[in-house]
Amino acid sequence: MSSQLEDRRRDRDRSPGHDHPPDYSRARRRQFTWLAVGIVGITALFVVRAITAESSALALPDKAQDFLTLSISVIVESMPFVILGIVLSIAVQVWVPDSWIMRVLPRNPFLRRAAISFIGVFLPVCECGNVPLARGLMVKGFTVSESMTFLLAAPIINPITIITTHQAFGWDDGILVGRIVGGFVIANLIGWLFSRHPHQDSLLTEKFARECRVPDAHAHGTTRWQESVALFRRESSVILPALFIGAVAAGAIQSFVPRSVLVSLGSNPLWSILAMMLLAFVISVCSNVDAFFILPFASTFMPGSIVSFLVFGPIIDIKMLALLRTTFTVKTLVQLTVVVALLSALIGLVVNYVA
Amino acid sequence: MSPNLLRFVQRWRGVALMSVVVVATIWLAVTNQLILYIHPRYVVFTVIMAVVALVFVASSAFLREPHDHDAPPTRRQNAVSGAAAVLSLAIAVGLIVVPPATLTSATLEQRAINDGGLTGDQGQSVEAVASTTDAAFASFTVLDWSSLLRQTTELSVFSDKPVDVVGFVSADPDDPENMFFVSRFIITCCAVDAQPVGVPVYAPDWADDVAVDQWVRVTGGFDTNPSSASDQAVVVVPDAVEVVDQPGEPYLY
Repeated sequence: MSSQLEDRRRDRDRSPGHDHPPDYSRARRRQFTWLAVGIVGITALFVVRAITAESSALALPDKAQDFLTLSISVIVESMPFVILGIVLSIAVQVWVPDSWIMRVLPRNPFLRRAAISFIGVFLPVCECGNVPLARGLMVKGFTVSESMTFLLAAPIINPITIITTHQAFGWDDGILVGRIVGGFVIANLIGWLFSRHPHQDSLLTEKFARECRVPDAHAHGTTRWQESVALFRRESSVILPALFIGAVAAGAIQSFVPRSVLVSLGSNPLWSILAMMLLAFVISVCSNVDAFFILPFASTFMPGSIVSFLVFGPIIDIKMLALLRTTFTVKTLVQLTVVVALLSALIGLVVNYVA
Repeated sequence: MSPNLLRFVQRWRGVALMSVVVVATIWLAVTNQLILYIHPRYVVFTVIMAVVALVFVASSAFLREPHDHDAPPTRRQNAVSGAAAVLSLAIAVGLIVVPPATLTSATLEQRAINDGGLTGDQGQSVEAVASTTDAAFASFTVLDWSSLLRQTTELSVFSDKPVDVVGFVSADPDDPENMFFVSRFIITCCAVDAQPVGVPVYAPDWADDVAVDQWVRVTGGFDTNPSSASDQAVVVVPDAVEVVDQPGEPYLY
C-alpha cells in the first residue's frame, strides 16, 4: 500500500500543480511512460554495447580479462535455462489449475517423493532452472522435503542428461547406472531425512517462507498476465543476483587456482573421489553437459570418482549454493551439502571397489 | 540510501540485470561472437530464450502490478544485498562495456597444455591416419596433431607430413627461449570448461618475432626435438611463422 502512496507523491513532485485527471487515463499514461522508459533503456544498452565493442582502450589485462570471460560464460550459459525455469515456474503457479499437480501425485509420502523424482523427465531443465521451478512448486503446495527431492533428482533423472551421459560413457564401468541410481537414492534419502524435521518452514529463508504463506493474488483483482509479469520481476530479482555471485565465484577460482592441483591428486580410490567432488564443486557446469566435460578425465581417474563427480556436481556446486541460498537457510544448505557429499563419496567408493 | 530508492532497487534489480544479459547475448549472437562464451550448439536455444526474456522485460515495464507483497528488508539483508548489488553491477558493466575476448594464455598456464585428455571422437587416431593423404594432413588442426602426439611419439608417424596450423602462441614451460606451442582451446559446453591443446614448435629466439597470445600460422614439418630441456620428443621445425588475425571461431570443438 505504502508504495502506491509514495508513487503518487512522487508523481505530484514531478509535475507540480497539474490537475488530477481521472485515475484510469492517468494509469494508462503511466503505463506507456514506463514502457517508453524500458524501450529507451534497452536501446541505450544496445547502443553503448555497439560503441564500446571496438575500443581497445577498455580492454583489460590478461588475467582480469579471462576472469571476466569465464564469469560471463557461466552467466550466458546458464541464463537460457534460468529463463526457462522462471517461465515454467510461472506456468505452474499462475496457469496450471491448483489441484491438478497435487491430484496426480500419490498420497503415500514415499511413493509421492519417488514420483516427484521423475518430474525431471517431463521438464528437462538444467539445475539452475530448477531453482525457480522448485520455488514455484513450493508456493503451489509442495512440502520443503518434496521440493528438495525434486531439486536433487531432476537434473540427473532427465532425458537430456541421460542421453549425454550415455553418449559419453555408454554402459562402461557402471557409470551411467551408478549416476541414475545414485541420483535417485540420494534425492529420496534427503527428502525423507528433511521430512522428519518438525518445522518445515524453518528450513526456508524467512522471506521465501512468507511468500509461500501469501494467499492467492487472484483475490486482489489482478489479471493472470499481470500476475505472470510480476512473478517474472520478483523471481529474476531473487535469482539473478545469486547467479551473478555464483558465476563470479566460479570464475575467480577458475582463473586463480591451477587445475593441475586437483588432477595431481591422482588415482587413489579415496583421494580421487574427493578430488573429483572438489572439481565438480568448483567448476559448476550444468548437468546436461558435465558428462562431456569429465570424459577426458576418465582415463586418469577411477570410474567411481567419475560417478561421484556426476552425482555430486548437479546437486551441489558454487553456483547452485548461491542460487539455493535464495530459498533455504544457511544451516539447511550446510546439512544438505554434508549429507550429499558423504552419500556421493559412498556411491563412488562402492563403484570403485565393485567395478 | 533512502528507503524509497532501496525499494526501487530491490524491485527492479532483476529486470535490470536480465536486460543487460539479454542485450549482451543478442548483440553477441548478431555479431557472431556468442561462440566466444558457449558451444555453437547452444546458440539457437540461448537466443530464443533471450527473446522470450526481452518480451517479459518490456511487459514488466508496461504491466506494473498495482501493489506488491515485498516486505521491507532488514538491515542485515540490506548489507548483504548491497554487496551483491555492487558485485552484480561490476559484472553487468563488464558485459556491456568491455570488448568481448577469447581466453588467453593466462588461463592456458592455469590449466596445463595437452593435459586434459580428449574424447574418442575428438582429433585423430594413429590407425586412421595411416592412409591419409598429404592434402588432408595439410588441413589438420592443432587439435588433430596434438591428439596424435598424445598417442605416439614415433617419428615415422609424423615425418614428411606437411604441417599448416593456426593458433595463438604460448611459451613452452620447460624451454621458453627455444620453444613455443601453437595453441587452441577446445570447448565442450562453454568457456568455463576450455581445455588447451597445442603443437610444440622449435624456433630459437622466437620471442624476437612473435609475442605470447599473438595468433600465428605455422607451416613446416615434424622432426626430433633438438631441445634437451623440453619433454617433447617430436616438434614442428617451422618453414615459416607468420602473424595472422584471430580467426572468427577461435575455439575448436
